[in-house]
Amino acid sequence: MFRKLLFNHQDIKQLIIAFIGAFVGITFLVTSVHYLVRVNEFGENTEILGANILVIQRKVTSSSSLNLTKTDFELKEIEKMKKEPFVEDVQAVVSNNFRVWLETNDKTIPPFKTDVFIQAVDKKFLDVKSEKWKWKEGDKSVPIIMPRDFVVMLNTFMSASGIPQISDELAMQVKFKLRISNGVSQEWVDSKIIGFTNEIPALLVPEEFMTYANAKFTDGTTGKITQLMIAGKEGQFGKLEAYMDDHGLESRNSQVVVSRLKSIVGTLFGVISGISIIAVLLSGLVLIQYLQLLMAQNKYEIRTLLRLGYAPNVLISSFFLYFLKLFVLISGLSFASFILLKFLIDEIFKTGGIYLNESLSWTSIFALALSLIIFTASSFITAKKGVLSLHNK
Amino acid sequence: MDLKFENVIPNPFANIAFEKNSFWGNTWELKKGERVLLNASSGKGKTSFTHFTYGLRNDFQGKILLDGQNNQNLTILEWTKIRQEKLAVVFQDLQLFAQLSVNDNFLLKANLTGNFKIEKAKQYLDYVGLSDKWDQKCGILSMGQLQRVAIIRALLQPFDWIILDEPFSHLDLENASKCMELINNRCDELKAGFILTTLDSINSISFNREIKL
Repeated sequence: MFRKLLFNHQDIKQLIIAFIGAFVGITFLVTSVHYLVRVNEFGENTEILGANILVIQRKVTSSSSLNLTKTDFELKEIEKMKKEPFVEDVQAVVSNNFRVWLETNDKTIPPFKTDVFIQAVDKKFLDVKSEKWKWKEGDKSVPIIMPRDFVVMLNTFMSASGIPQISDELAMQVKFKLRISNGVSQEWVDSKIIGFTNEIPALLVPEEFMTYANAKFTDGTTGKITQLMIAGKEGQFGKLEAYMDDHGLESRNSQVVVSRLKSIVGTLFGVISGISIIAVLLSGLVLIQYLQLLMAQNKYEIRTLLRLGYAPNVLISSFFLYFLKLFVLISGLSFASFILLKFLIDEIFKTGGIYLNESLSWTSIFALALSLIIFTASSFITAKKGVLSLHNK
Repeated sequence: MDLKFENVIPNPFANIAFEKNSFWGNTWELKKGERVLLNASSGKGKTSFTHFTYGLRNDFQGKILLDGQNNQNLTILEWTKIRQEKLAVVFQDLQLFAQLSVNDNFLLKANLTGNFKIEKAKQYLDYVGLSDKWDQKCGILSMGQLQRVAIIRALLQPFDWIILDEPFSHLDLENASKCMELINNRCDELKAGFILTTLDSINSISFNREIKL
């Protein structure tokens, strides 16, 4: 009977407009918040380099090609770089001072042999959880981390040879051999891929192996430091990038591209989030205004019920519960649409080769819950204010 | 619940000198069970009296005490309880819901306390000659019919006092008498009293106190 009485004067058109506004606003808010989180997470824990770590080298120019400018780093320079406020740490990337060949040692795939370049970096810059990432003198096998480009190249070779291409998992099963030599003596070491990297264009070996091999097979020259691992402080990537520009330094494109891409996509979703928040607030305002209008149109009924002896809380609950049901319905539909949109957007990202974490982010659930809480709290306050203003009138 | 009115004067009448027997500006005590006629011509404040006593307006000087408690200091919950159990009212403008049927208007009141059987309301309606109006919307009833419905609605709750603001203004003598009989019977049943405002003394109204505004 209350519903018949209190919700008699309704402007359904306005309610539908507010409903659609709130639905669209919340859907986009939850979706954009979800992708803000997931895009920011992208790349974390999947690469061997920790967050904010770059491999840098000097830009190669015509003058450096003619040996007019240097391409290596001096220890003094490295120490100075460490003191920059946006730098967490800097370490030299150690390169081989001998010749190295990588060759397959597996009957399941055709023979393949190539000159390679190996490097070792300080463990604290690596995020390798594998127990296999260790080596000591006397060990028969050395673990390696392979540049992903190398697998692409290997697959190109396999394809050209009419042999099926290999996946990352299969590549990690293939047995390899490293031949190291200084022209006088040589040594073969078994080798196995334990991971891949997009960020370092050389085979990575444990530091201990590099120290051992450099000592044993040095060609007599002193190794130059041509690459550095640099860890920037959280949120100061821009300053590090500006420093690199000023000092003629560069990083592997993919690293900068990923950081820029994350920054652009993050900003895009940030803007969508901002617009969604405005849409949610505006539609919330329209819904609250609708509640106010509904109460104004039913002023006589509310006032008379209070005069008859109905407790204000009973009337407040009627309005509040009506809007609570409405908000729960909007939130439910928004959540369902978000799941659908998420499925479509994840597929689009996958098509573009970007594999985001597909699980629901807690932040998006929190945004949904927060919208619901704000809407219901506003409707409760409005209903309470409206009913009490008519008490004893 | 006893009522006490201490020097109550509506603010618009503040500068008027009232006689000793006038309700306004003097102190009156009304004991539960009394049947009071408030007699006054138009514009003397009959509706103001109803609204002041029922707590709808406070633009007056003096005090209205409900069982010794100033009615301007009552909380929302106290007012709710008083309106459910102690004070019934028939407003001059009746305050019925035009979009609801007579039955629904009764149910809204009866459901509040749940101690009045709706079948009895139907008997009341039969008695005042409106048996065929049970399911009709109030919006299509005449003023006389609406007055009878409003009176019955007010009787559907427990009360110590029922305040009736010109309840028979659109009723013929026969229907006014029937309604008065229902009011008296219900007051007897509840050992309650009434305060009835009217423009003139009506023969059909039996009262034990008459006060002029």
